[in-house]
Amino acid sequence: MLMLGLVAVATLAANGAQHLRYMALAFLGVAIAAHLMAGPDISVWQAALSLAAALVTTAILFIAARDGRFGEDPGWRLWVATIVAATTTAAAFAFLRTASGEDVHVSVLGADPSGVTQQAAAFWLLSSGVAILLTARGAVRGSLGALLMLTGTQLLVQLVPGPQFALALMLAWLQIVVALAGAFLIVNERALREA
Amino acid sequence: MTLPIALLGLGAVIAFAIRKRVQYAGPFTVGCLLAAIVLVVSFDAGTTTEVLGLQLRLSELAQLGALMLLGSLISLALTVWIDEPAYNFFPTALGAGAAVLAVLTLTAPIAIYGALILALLIPVGSFTFQVHRNRSYEAAFRHFSFVLLGGCLGLSALALSGSLPRDQPPATFVLLVAIIVVAFALKLAAIPFHTHAALLAMEVPASALALYFGVLVPTTFIAFAEILTLSGLLPAIVQISKVQDLLLALGTASALGGAFLATGSTELRRVTAYSVIANLGQALVGIATLSGPGIVGAIAIVLVTGAGATQQLLAAGAIERRSGADQPSATVAPLAALAFVIGGFAMIGAPPLVAFPGHFFVELIAFSYSGVLGAALVLSTLGILIAQLRAAIAIFRVAPDHWRVESRPVAGVVGTLLFLALLVGGMQPDGFLRPIAAFADEFIRALRPL
Repeated sequence: MLMLGLVAVATLAANGAQHLRYMALAFLGVAIAAHLMAGPDISVWQAALSLAAALVTTAILFIAARDGRFGEDPGWRLWVATIVAATTTAAAFAFLRTASGEDVHVSVLGADPSGVTQQAAAFWLLSSGVAILLTARGAVRGSLGALLMLTGTQLLVQLVPGPQFALALMLAWLQIVVALAGAFLIVNERALREA
Repeated sequence: MTLPIALLGLGAVIAFAIRKRVQYAGPFTVGCLLAAIVLVVSFDAGTTTEVLGLQLRLSELAQLGALMLLGSLISLALTVWIDEPAYNFFPTALGAGAAVLAVLTLTAPIAIYGALILALLIPVGSFTFQVHRNRSYEAAFRHFSFVLLGGCLGLSALALSGSLPRDQPPATFVLLVAIIVVAFALKLAAIPFHTHAALLAMEVPASALALYFGVLVPTTFIAFAEILTLSGLLPAIVQISKVQDLLLALGTASALGGAFLATGSTELRRVTAYSVIANLGQALVGIATLSGPGIVGAIAIVLVTGAGATQQLLAAGAIERRSGADQPSATVAPLAALAFVIGGFAMIGAPPLVAFPGHFFVELIAFSYSGVLGAALVLSTLGILIAQLRAAIAIFRVAPDHWRVESRPVAGVVGTLLFLALLVGGMQPDGFLRPIAAFADEFIRALRPL
């Protein structure tokens, strides 16, 4: 539950950041909290892989910013994204968990074997990402929205039975490619702004 | 089976390192793609292998798809190397080729989806070109957003459907499958989710556009059919007609809308892009009928449409480059203009090309489904025919004093070769349709499991 709170706070921080470098650091916070949430359910190698991908992603965005002042002011988009994310998360969670009929006990600090908090975090990240991506004016917030959505997707994929390490590896590569494509677009956007 | 994927992946890294030496990067790219095709064809169909618990299987459809899609990539790399130097294109083509092969051979739905998103993201770098003079940055950003929006939502819905208990109310599965369908519609640029494709059609380099419409869009469609087959969602789709209705509505809207938009333009790239969207709509209708002929026709349509789109977009690029600021005309590149016109035959599914059986099957099954649906698809084909005729008339409007083949006529030669391949395929349709029929069998078996 604590990690769920951290994911929410870090997402809000990333959403509200005006500078790309702060945004990148907040995203690192989101990724670390999200992957710690899975706790002992995932292998050490899988956790290390996901964290390494998050670090590389943050580094790519950090370098793409070129200086500490570059970014995009969210303005009213911050509130729209937050409200949309909160309502959509509640709706998605209610709709997709109602039929399971299982008793769920969630503690503030302990592990959550039912996966409820992981799903709630995934829905929150997906909703926030969609809202940020749809209201983004350029590649800075567009990249953030895409990366948040991908982190949410990673959390949901962790709940699927199957070759988890291979899927984690694929999603880690996907995250890095998203960051690279985003950084490429950010550099182009900057070139246009400065022209 | 991992060897051709690894070869293309490693080739992409090397091509990136030597990309600015076009005289080396060009032949290197063509060589890697040729070697990958030879490797794929040399394996027996049905060969399987496992990597980190993920199974890869070389089905007959994967072999056919690899041959056609990597063949299209070779024609693109050749054109860029000889006629339109763009050094970013070579690593992009090899990276996209590796991801396309992964999509065709993986058997886990989530892994297929992941590889598909990777394939669709790789060309972002080759979309932007002279960003100060055009809107190619905006087009690339919109493509990036659409791919990730559709990609993450679809992947999440797929993961949820795999992790939720099976005793869910039907509404839950309807929602999840509807999200997957809409996610694919976003990536396929089906109408009404086509705005990014419209912008791409006007702003990005012709070779990158051909990579998208000629290789990646057909791959996306095949991935959609494979994921439906392998995810175990098909029985739920059969029981709940709403999903089938959604697919039919999307398909019909794209078929009619794409044809209508194509008829409204004489710009060569737009005509091709909207013809592809109209054909994809027809293919979606084919899948939505959940019948053997519908599935065979759908896959046949997308594969041939991909080849036709590659041919037409390369020709359009060659004509535009030689026309400069003037109206595109056959006088500056007669062979490329000819390649554009004969590419239109593949787009409308004219006999005796191999394009014909796909259109015939889908329209036939659509008529057996409902008269209105069949009539809508025939109307769509007529619309594409009119659009292609208008485009042909527009480029041949001015008769040249004397016909002289343009210098470096790569697009024209490649287009003519592709046309001949489609013609030979039309004479021997069995070789083309048998692997697709084998996939349709798998699809039907997944529809009604024992």
